[in-house]
Amino acid sequence: MTETKIPLDLILERMAEDAEKARQRASRASDVLLGELHYEIGSTPYEIVYEEDRVRLKHYLRNEEAENKPKTPLLVVYALINRETMLDLQPDRSVVKTFLQEGIDLYMVDWGYPTSKDRFLTIDDHVNGYMDNIVDFLRRKHGVPKINLMGICMGGTFCVIYSALHPEKIKNLITTVTPTNFDTDKGLLHVWMKDVDTDRMVRTFGNIPGDLMNFGFLLLNPARLMIDKYVGFMENMDNRDFVENFVRMERWIFDSPDVPGETFRQFVEDGYKNNLLIQSKMFVGEKRVDLKKITMPLLNFFGEYDHLVPPEACNQLTGAVGSADARDVCLETGHIGIYVSSRFQRQFAPRIVQWLKERDTVDKVETAPAQEMPAMSQEAPMKRPSVRKKPAIRKTGTKRKSPAKEKFMPAAAARKDKRALIQKIAEAI
Amino acid sequence: MADAGNPFPFNESSVFPWLKTAADMWLNMAKTIPPDSDTTLKTQTDVQNRFTRQLETSLNLFKSFSRMMNEPESASATANTMNALPEIFLKMAGSGFEAAMQIQNHLMEKAARIGKRTEAYNFDNLDQEVFRALSEVYEKELRQYLKIPPLGLTRFYQERFNEMLDKHNLFETTLAEFLSILYLPMEKSFNVLQEKLKQRTEEGNIPHDMKESYAMWLKILEGHYMNLFKSKEYTEALHRTLNKLEDFLIAKNEAMRDFLQLLPVVTQKDMDEMYKEFHLLKKRVKALEKKAGISPNTLTVVK
Repeated sequence: MTETKIPLDLILERMAEDAEKARQRASRASDVLLGELHYEIGSTPYEIVYEEDRVRLKHYLRNEEAENKPKTPLLVVYALINRETMLDLQPDRSVVKTFLQEGIDLYMVDWGYPTSKDRFLTIDDHVNGYMDNIVDFLRRKHGVPKINLMGICMGGTFCVIYSALHPEKIKNLITTVTPTNFDTDKGLLHVWMKDVDTDRMVRTFGNIPGDLMNFGFLLLNPARLMIDKYVGFMENMDNRDFVENFVRMERWIFDSPDVPGETFRQFVEDGYKNNLLIQSKMFVGEKRVDLKKITMPLLNFFGEYDHLVPPEACNQLTGAVGSADARDVCLETGHIGIYVSSRFQRQFAPRIVQWLKERDTVDKVETAPAQEMPAMSQEAPMKRPSVRKKPAIRKTGTKRKSPAKEKFMPAAAARKDKRALIQKIAEAI
Repeated sequence: MADAGNPFPFNESSVFPWLKTAADMWLNMAKTIPPDSDTTLKTQTDVQNRFTRQLETSLNLFKSFSRMMNEPESASATANTMNALPEIFLKMAGSGFEAAMQIQNHLMEKAARIGKRTEAYNFDNLDQEVFRALSEVYEKELRQYLKIPPLGLTRFYQERFNEMLDKHNLFETTLAEFLSILYLPMEKSFNVLQEKLKQRTEEGNIPHDMKESYAMWLKILEGHYMNLFKSKEYTEALHRTLNKLEDFLIAKNEAMRDFLQLLPVVTQKDMDEMYKEFHLLKKRVKALEKKAGISPNTLTVVK
């Protein structure tokens, strides 16, 4: 009798082992899922210092003990899609925390949740309205003529538009995964958006529902985002840390405000369909957005494996602006991995801090002459809102790093621990 | 005259006296109502007066009719008509039956055409063609029934309701097609996985645990999805589905508005118009505030 090449006994033994493991996991998982779980996001304390309609400005409390603190405040503008809490997803993966530890005076725009009455708000209303008012508020508050500006995704596009229209108010510009060149077939979103009938969509929905967009994003990679992700969850649901982080990510992903209809229309028409921005042909508030007017230093991050905003959509900006100090940084990750992946916690935010500090020391913080400051005769003093309990901020020294290489190469192999799945999810988005 | 062969003879000798008695009774009763009597209460309304006048007119008409029917010529003509009634009924029923048969034949023809339409497709490529066939069958053979022009005062409401049903049917058909396309990579990935497993079994290199097989399948699936998403057919199906969904939602909103108008609530259209005015007004106020140096910050301030 010839011996079979297939080790059936081994396979059956493993199946039995797997079944036993699954039984034990299910038993432990019930303890975890029925027990107390902490999955809150955006837990770093902040205070609201400005409010206009649905828009609020968060001010985070920095580590005053940090060495060589940049004196110019940094304003972070998130996209209208999803929420800014992504930058503060969990305590050990928080861009916000890193900024604060390094002494950045951090402000972040919270766009809120648009309702039906916001459907007529255009890009002009967001950029020349809310953003400009916030920038003026910060300049006045800090007594500076210029602030630092950082944009994320669509928020980055808003920052590019703003910096081109109001270059006199921006000291340094940081764009991250920011689409500016829409004429590419690399990202599925770019392919699909070209044929979208925006008029009909806006007429039908008013504001574009966040759930509809989320469904579209899930369709970009259903194998990973609709199957593998949850298989991974089932395999690790007996691990409390894993479950908490997983639920945090889920909460963030599906916390999707609607996008004001008219803003969506202009973004798709002028961006995805006609690619006007990178050609300096886009008009916002009856003014042409001339990228050559962006003369301040520019740091432009993007993800090599980003399938929402592929590198081709981002990497033309530095060549199109008028700045002599413009740099691209491509990280080997996806759209969200830049911010939440543990691999890039030391490569993203600390690098921005370093870059800002270099420019703050070279160009000492400017004190605005009185005539340059926006006058607000009836500006009333702020009521200090109740501040949440401050966490202990670890005193850290400024990390001195060698100048950034144009392309970051990560460690050869990532640790294969329970975190790997969350990282995979982050990179798949 | 009664026909001996008629099973339902018309007996004018008993009908006409009854008709006359009835007319006289109603006329006498009407006379007892004082039309503009001083004794009537001042609360009596014009409506009541109108009712009295209407009754009087009707009774006069009844009286004339009764008088006319008493004439021998009329009685004879009526008797003839009544005797001919069964024949008339039979003719009417015949016409109705014929019409029903025509409709049924028409439907049978349509059903046959549906069969012909589906025959025209090659069902080897079942995944897509079957949905196109379904869609065409609906659009060419069934949709017309919802497109029959409605008549009368409520025609616009009926039209909008039919439109909603029509758009809903079209959306359902398109959605089914889209979902089937979306499922295609799953199906293909299982086939490819089976092939691979077969190949590895023959080589004696079968995956030792489920995880390995799962990882293999997932990779195949991801590859198939990427291929699908880049295809023109998928993009077209996606947009078609989105367009049909939007068509349905627009039609549904318009039909809903008709219902909402019956209720004391504002409609979406009313609100949109108000939002637009509100938005423009707010913009002007903000511009003026900026000129006047008033902060747009609405955070509660300490006075």
